[in-house]
Amino acid sequence: MANTKKLSMKQRYSALTRDLDWESSYVSEEELFPHTKFEGIKIHDWAKWEDPFRLTIDAYCKYQAEKDKRLYAVLDGFAQSQGHLTLSDARYLNAMKLFLQGVTPLEYQAHRHFGYLARHLNGPGPRFAALCQSIDELRHTQTEIHTLSNYNKYYGGLHSWSKMHDRVWYLSVPKSFFDDAISAGPFEFLIAIGFSFEYLLTNLLFVPFMSGASFNGDLPSMTFGFSAQSDESRHMTLGLEAIKFLLEQDEGNVPIVQGWIDKWFWRGYRVTALVAGMLDYMLPRKVMSWKEAFELYFEEQMLGGLFKDLEFYGITPPRHVEHAIAEKDLLSHQVYWTLYSFSFAAAFTTTVPEAGERAWLAEQYPDTFNTFYKPRWDKAQAIIDGGGRFFFQGLPQLCQTCQIPMVFTEPGDPTTLCQRHSVYRGERFDFCSDGCKWIFDREPEKYVQAWMPVHQIYQGNCGGPSVPEVLAWYGIQDGDNGEYTGSLDHLDWRRWHASEPAVASTTKES
Amino acid sequence: MQYELRQQVIEPRRKTFQHLIERYGDRGASRYEEGTIDVQATENFHYRPLWDPAHELYDQDYSALKLTDPYTFTDPRQYYYAPYVASRAELHESFGKTLGYLESRDLFDRLPDGWRTVLMQLMVPLRHYESGAQLVTVNGARFAYGTTVEQCLSYAAFDRIGNAQLLSRVGITAAGGTADALADAKRAWVDDGSLQGLRRLVEELLVERDWATGVVGFDLVDRMLYPLLYRYLDEAALLGGAGAYSLVAQHLTGWFADHRRWIDALIAAWVTDEQHGAANRSALGAIVTARLPQAIEAVTAVATAIDGAIDVGAIDAVRRQAQELTAALDATMNTEEMA
Repeated sequence: MANTKKLSMKQRYSALTRDLDWESSYVSEEELFPHTKFEGIKIHDWAKWEDPFRLTIDAYCKYQAEKDKRLYAVLDGFAQSQGHLTLSDARYLNAMKLFLQGVTPLEYQAHRHFGYLARHLNGPGPRFAALCQSIDELRHTQTEIHTLSNYNKYYGGLHSWSKMHDRVWYLSVPKSFFDDAISAGPFEFLIAIGFSFEYLLTNLLFVPFMSGASFNGDLPSMTFGFSAQSDESRHMTLGLEAIKFLLEQDEGNVPIVQGWIDKWFWRGYRVTALVAGMLDYMLPRKVMSWKEAFELYFEEQMLGGLFKDLEFYGITPPRHVEHAIAEKDLLSHQVYWTLYSFSFAAAFTTTVPEAGERAWLAEQYPDTFNTFYKPRWDKAQAIIDGGGRFFFQGLPQLCQTCQIPMVFTEPGDPTTLCQRHSVYRGERFDFCSDGCKWIFDREPEKYVQAWMPVHQIYQGNCGGPSVPEVLAWYGIQDGDNGEYTGSLDHLDWRRWHASEPAVASTTKES
Repeated sequence: MQYELRQQVIEPRRKTFQHLIERYGDRGASRYEEGTIDVQATENFHYRPLWDPAHELYDQDYSALKLTDPYTFTDPRQYYYAPYVASRAELHESFGKTLGYLESRDLFDRLPDGWRTVLMQLMVPLRHYESGAQLVTVNGARFAYGTTVEQCLSYAAFDRIGNAQLLSRVGITAAGGTADALADAKRAWVDDGSLQGLRRLVEELLVERDWATGVVGFDLVDRMLYPLLYRYLDEAALLGGAGAYSLVAQHLTGWFADHRRWIDALIAAWVTDEQHGAANRSALGAIVTARLPQAIEAVTAVATAIDGAIDVGAIDAVRRQAQELTAALDATMNTEEMA
């Protein structure tokens, strides 16, 4: 029957996206979409998916091309004017080293696996949304590489980011996190990344880096951050639509989704531990403390806002969230002390926080810093004053789930290390927390497969038995690692700024 | 007269990333290279996929077609995201102008009847064909090994949905801003005998487990269909007073020329690969044996319907194209032997 009415905007979008689909008859739906049954999620009507945004390809390309033109103009100008000399300090770049090694490869993984959703979800609406996100994530991968490419020419630690992501111990934290998500089924991936990573935790994971950039004179990264904002808000609405859609389709989905929220909250939260250390210790000019960020972006916005909305569906706040809340006074200090102790094997440098920073930390963490953590830094400083530098001798035990060294403390007792374990097929596996043990116990057959960096070194799979051999295998070069003071970056920075206040002059010739 | 700006000169420690230095030496690298080469993870994957435990998360064995080093293949267009979207923004803007012109002069309404039939009952339904191409291609974007290869597939997948939207907009405009033509087009895609060979082929290619078998199989159909609909009929349209058809077709011909650049380069890389060349040629040969006759038959059915509507010698054109394509594929398969 002819519909002779002109299309509304919404109908037009639908005609240009989901209406491109048809019901197959030469092959069955099961053959076409073989991956959407095994997780137990039931979808009765894919048409109920509400498009979270409406961008047709022509509008998308036009809008994105304009954004990129502006971004690359900033990158070019910054490079040409030696803008890196105007950073707050060379040691600021440690944050960006962590970002390029740890986060950029995740953008790339997201790119690849949203492509998987763009093929493997039965519904054409979510498939198209996933396709757009896939190509957005490729944009983020590449613009991040291009943004940091100029720093790579002048500073250490940025040169081998992709190899390092595959090999270096602390980077197995983000890598195993994302490998966990993409090795899961399509619906779990949607909740793990679309919802938990892109919505629940995005302000804790991504924003601290970009805000840090803006406070520390890193114009390119800040511009990238702003340029990615409209993409990210599309991704956030997709994540939110995804969870609502799954919950509304079938009551039986609710406990499955709740399990994934519980798992992916804690899994993602443990990745943010690295961000916590960065935020409190690596930025010469502070943005906000981890504690403040956690309270605002997680407790207030998520627990106080989002989870109130999700109550309607029978969803409760994530399991083990109380441990994360209790840890907010401790997390960054425990993580950064670990990075400090092991930075001889890292592709960034660390240093004792300066007096002003220690005062700031004491102010931000009145209940914990002076009591538990300042004494450590005083000791570290005393060793430096004596002409030494403390590094931990030996290799740490890693948590089998999150792969962070077992450095976290018992809930309610900041002086006792937390250790949990499970036995699976006669073998013992250790965990840093109740959250990580719980995640292992629900899928032990998955987590026993993990590529554990320390085990791999002991098994002889990382270049050799000695530290220099392992570092060479990691791709770490002289000046990438260890103590910041006296490092290559530090010496270069001082040399470049030695002749200040020299100003580039302009001469006119006729 | 000129003036000279002085800048602070600082000797860089290195000109690009280490993996590029190792491949090409310490020279400045392009943004395409920095954003593409060695980006995908290659080792130490933590967990096997639940949906395919026989494979790693990224694995050469997702296809029989392999490259010893995926980065010996690069996109001849050097597309990374920014130039890609800029180029497509231009394509869609230029198409939008064409469509505006066609609408303002009522040129769809003024098409000769036979040509209007071809446009509405054969061309516009191909929006579903393009949509199928997107699915086959994005599967490659996920499962191909190496960023150079998958990046081309990712953009191609995006292109195909773009093409589908472009054809849909023709349908919407030609039906006065309504969805009537799209509804008819979908009925034709699902029911019309002339399109069932194509639809069957698309659906079968969608369930190919080997991503490259799907992509290459689809390419064989493209190589029969595109030259017929958008090149041969473009010529015929000019002679037959169907300017609107020609103005639409030119955009798809232009896109297809751009698309061929990377896919021909990839096929060339496969057949000449030092380690996998022989196996690749035999895998490609198997795809051609299985799918080319089916593609020729499916496109012949389309040509038959075209000749029924406008009698422009489409069946003969398909026959000639099939011969040319067979010869071209033979030459491709014999590349190494000829060298």
